[in-house]
Amino acid sequence: MARGWVVAAAIIIAGAVCVWPVSAQAPAPAAPGGLPVAPVGKSPAKHSKYSVPRTPWGDPDLEGVWSSDEEAGVPFERPSGQAKAAVDGSELEELLEQREQQRANTAPTVGGATGAGPTHWYENWGRKSARTSLVVDPVDGRVPPLTADAEKRQQGRVGGGGSFGKGPFDKPGDFSLYDRCITRGLPSVMFPAIYNNNTRIVQAPGYVALTYEMIHETRVIPLDGRPFVAHGLRGYLGDARAHWEGDTLVIETQSFSDKTNYRGAGATLQLVERFRRVSGKGLRYEVTVHDPHTFSRPWTAALNLGPGVDLFEYGCHEGNYAMRNMLSAARAAEKAQVPAAKK
Amino acid sequence: MNGIWQSVGTANWNLEDHSASATAFWQLGAIGAIPAGQSVVEGGTIPYLPAALKQRDANRAGWPKSDPEAKCYMPGIPRATYMPFPFQIVQGQKDILFVYEYASSNRIVHMQNHSEAPVDSWMGWSNGTWEGDTLVITVNGFNDSTWFDRAGNHHSDGLTVVERYTMQGDNVLQYEATMTDPKTFSRPWKIRMPLYRRLEPNVQLLEFKCVEFSEELLYGDLKKK
Repeated sequence: MARGWVVAAAIIIAGAVCVWPVSAQAPAPAAPGGLPVAPVGKSPAKHSKYSVPRTPWGDPDLEGVWSSDEEAGVPFERPSGQAKAAVDGSELEELLEQREQQRANTAPTVGGATGAGPTHWYENWGRKSARTSLVVDPVDGRVPPLTADAEKRQQGRVGGGGSFGKGPFDKPGDFSLYDRCITRGLPSVMFPAIYNNNTRIVQAPGYVALTYEMIHETRVIPLDGRPFVAHGLRGYLGDARAHWEGDTLVIETQSFSDKTNYRGAGATLQLVERFRRVSGKGLRYEVTVHDPHTFSRPWTAALNLGPGVDLFEYGCHEGNYAMRNMLSAARAAEKAQVPAAKK
Repeated sequence: MNGIWQSVGTANWNLEDHSASATAFWQLGAIGAIPAGQSVVEGGTIPYLPAALKQRDANRAGWPKSDPEAKCYMPGIPRATYMPFPFQIVQGQKDILFVYEYASSNRIVHMQNHSEAPVDSWMGWSNGTWEGDTLVITVNGFNDSTWFDRAGNHHSDGLTVVERYTMQGDNVLQYEATMTDPKTFSRPWKIRMPLYRRLEPNVQLLEFKCVEFSEELLYGDLKKK
């Protein structure tokens, strides 16, 4: 099963694709939910004359299966010592070689002796994105600092790290929501892992539906301006409402369950996601993360999505042998420590 | 057919005729009892081959732990249709998406590029076509692990299901599903029931991510004592 670490530690071989420049800071415009959306760069529409096709009822047509595979290997945050948002030429070749090497070195030993599977399992090996981080705002490509309150909460957390952490492994609740096959979470599900990086978009009048291959979750999001559900109704994927801003689909999500934890943010997390078709074969995705209880300011990450292939059913929970294996291994390890005289 | 739909009745308890009866869970009082229901099977009973009938009885004897629903496993087709949860139909330009509230199940119905199932799955592989105003979906590529209801009715991985959805007015969908599985049944058999549009203003699917409710059942024996 894919692990979140891959997002941070992946390598790509030489090559150059699109470069998305980061604009200078400007006052943030507000989304209709009242949440500011940080500007993240020149609109590609300025560089091309692409005209977004329409559905029969006149909405921009984003239908299709879209993959984040091409951005695999780009670190979530820009490494220190790297000043540019994107590189090219020989600098790019060097960067991609470094990433590939690092990924190949790390894979065999992730999680101790178990490792993370042979590299030929990875669907997104050898990708060529020239970006140096998926975070695009702040301009340094790094997530802003946590608030003092959030720091305290992080320190108070016992365990964590899921199946690749140090335990305890006493019960299913000691594992991550991902290990337990409950959810891949938002916005994590959009970011590339070693496989299942496909998102299907289906549109009908008044709705847009997103199906995420990783754990087959689907959100059917109304476009009719109805209010959010009351905060008493919470979910692992929260509650979402969408609207169009020109050709851009804007999805606002709130009411996350307090059992979720996105980089320290739980029930107070709010997301503003934007999807815009930039060509026959590409979508631009941006997510702005808001949580004044957790992050010192909102921040934005972005992905260039390309054409994907039809989704396979990912029967994560149905096939979750790992959970039984991990729990029984932990119980066996405990038993092995019992002195022989007591057995 | 866009919108949110739900079946009414007790098909998910038992596709065949059933009187009210108790379960083992007397602690729930009448809440833990099974309501009565009339058969949704054309002809009344499911035509099992003898060995498969024995398997059904074994499934019943192991209930609820033997029931994939208790384990929060994806319910397959047709069971997803008549679970006691709503589902939503999203008619895209190319394909039609069915989103089921139970266990975040869903399936895409390929309306244009019909191909064979690349691999077996819980929800099967759906190819759809229009016959006049009826949506006809042929589902193949099932694994053998889903049931038709809580009464142990089952199938093999050779199952093919042909569904027919026909609007009757604006707010009712007439639903039929024909099951063909020569390894399990002596002939094809059919179920039929109406599906009703959920009419509440602002109704939406909510989450029933039931994995956490099934973990004690599945892993309780492996928890630290």
